[in-house]
Amino acid sequence: MHQRIKLRTPHIWTVSLLLGLGLFAFALAVLTTNAQAAPSLQPAAQDEKPNNDFCLACHQEEGIDKTLGSESLPVTINPTEFGLSVHSEEGILCVDCHVDISDYPHPDVKSKSVRDFQLTFADSCKECHEDQYTAAHDSVHQTAMDEGNENAPLCADCHNPHTQPRIIGETSGQLTIAARRDVPATCAKCHTDAFEIYKNSVHGSALADGNTDVPTCTDCHGVHSIGDPTTDSFRNNTPALCADCHDNEELMNKYGLSTEVLETYVADFHGTTTTLFEQQFPGQPINTAVCSDCHGIHDIASTKNAETGIAMQENLLLKCQRCHPDATANFSAAWMGHYQPSPEHYPIVYYVDLFYKFFIPAVLGGMILFILTDIYRRIVNRVKGAKH
Amino acid sequence: MNTVTKAYMRFPLARRIEHWVMMLSFTLLGLTGLPQRFPEAGLSQAILGILGGIEGLRNIHHISAIVMMFGTAWHILVMGYSVFVLRDKMSMLPTLQDAKDGIQALLYNIGFAKTYPQMGRYTFEEKMEYWAFVWGALVMGATGFMMWNPITATQYLPGEFIPAAKAAHGNEAVLAVLAIIIWHMYGVHIKRFNKAMFNGTQTEAEMLHEHPLELADIKAGIADRRPDAATLRKRQMIYYPIAAVLTLGMLGGIYGFINAEETALTTIPPIVETVEPPAPTVQP
Repeated sequence: MHQRIKLRTPHIWTVSLLLGLGLFAFALAVLTTNAQAAPSLQPAAQDEKPNNDFCLACHQEEGIDKTLGSESLPVTINPTEFGLSVHSEEGILCVDCHVDISDYPHPDVKSKSVRDFQLTFADSCKECHEDQYTAAHDSVHQTAMDEGNENAPLCADCHNPHTQPRIIGETSGQLTIAARRDVPATCAKCHTDAFEIYKNSVHGSALADGNTDVPTCTDCHGVHSIGDPTTDSFRNNTPALCADCHDNEELMNKYGLSTEVLETYVADFHGTTTTLFEQQFPGQPINTAVCSDCHGIHDIASTKNAETGIAMQENLLLKCQRCHPDATANFSAAWMGHYQPSPEHYPIVYYVDLFYKFFIPAVLGGMILFILTDIYRRIVNRVKGAKH
Repeated sequence: MNTVTKAYMRFPLARRIEHWVMMLSFTLLGLTGLPQRFPEAGLSQAILGILGGIEGLRNIHHISAIVMMFGTAWHILVMGYSVFVLRDKMSMLPTLQDAKDGIQALLYNIGFAKTYPQMGRYTFEEKMEYWAFVWGALVMGATGFMMWNPITATQYLPGEFIPAAKAAHGNEAVLAVLAIIIWHMYGVHIKRFNKAMFNGTQTEAEMLHEHPLELADIKAGIADRRPDAATLRKRQMIYYPIAAVLTLGMLGGIYGFINAEETALTTIPPIVETVEPPAPTVQP
């Protein structure tokens, strides 16, 4: 009887129900159409990438982070900072690097630590920066990474992709002054001790005062393809490395520095030996001193510094004694301090040279003159048919 | 016997060996020294390549110097015997006559003297070369010692003497090598090929030509008059102990020259700068 009851239901209910359903369907259709037409935070279509505003809508929120294993990774992006970055300037999209993300919710992150997660981006930069990427793969940093040190720097450890400003001048094609000044701070993120030493050196303190003529880390160690500075070839190449600047007359004249440092070094025992040795056996160990053995590495100080300056014979002697342990007080004066001998500096050497400058031509000239008269007489005698 | 075939002994075998030893060491010293004086020259590079680089070069230079030191010591002993035991004429000593001979030779060459000077066992040219060699050996030995043993040298001398020694050593080397090439080559090999250091002898014609006074002495029987056996024995008994002490002294000197000091460490201690292991960086 159930059926009967139904049949007995008044038609008005049926009509109402159908109408209601129809209206609902219509409203749904209209709403859906409206949603598509209006500006939205949702991706426009499946094959188009979400723009940066879409990502920043959530990611600009302060204090958000992502839990990776037991660690948490802050995922806030400051839109102002990002807006000033070279990537933003060039219109690079978040998803150009974060390729696995196209919508929200994001796909699951399997990394169990922050570093693990960062390592998944190791090859991201290659897409656009292949030269730098390749160079970095020849570096001591990559070697460390290959040997299992996961803390060896990735591109993004030096160049934070979310904040990295433009560092190559658009017209000059050179590293900008601001970028040069900031180099040591970048390296100091890991190489703290070297930086602490460098910043008090003659080079580092000048840089801190805003002088970008001085070498920063990359000028000696290179950029991207940073080599191992403990090798013999790096050591043997030191004189050429320092001479890059210290032979530059324009640069040295600004500071009243000598441009004869390489020349006088090569003319001396240490320099001659190192130069000749490196030419015959590149990259082999040699025990003669190079620039850094006396002047230091990151702690290079002015030679005139009263406390450590090696223009002071006692300070220099300490340097000598590193390789010549038995050296005594007079010994350090055997090094001519990059001076060309002159009546003021190293007069004995100067006068010895001067003596031979006249003595050699005088002796040899006398000999040649006598021999010429002898030859002349022999020819004359032969012509005359006479005997000696 | 005619004047061409009759031979007079000029240098017995021992003297010839001495000469060859000195010649060999001198040549090697020049060959391994000049590339250090002119390190940038192409020829220096070639020599370095052949002789095993700068370290091989220095080893040969040092060994040649030691050989020359032994040669010099031997020469001093032989000269001592000649002077004290045999009482030979000290024919190598320079005299006023040598200056006169030199001037006369020059005047003759340019046509202002009728005759060429008549000279004895050693001509002024030979004496000049001998004493130039003595001078050179003293300069090279003294400056060489300072460079070989700079720490020992600066215990007694100002430091500046070391680069000064280097300057003198290099300049003197140029002078010595060129003097040998110019003076010795011309006087002994080009003017007339003198075989005295090969077969030890000179023909009568050669003697008449270059050492007429010595030839006259030989013919008169007054050259190299030997003492009688008893005198010889007596003098030898005096000389041998002196020579032994002298030998010991010279050997000690050579040993000291070579071993006075260990100038530098073989390997430079690395400059130690402690750098903390890189710390992980955390960033968005």
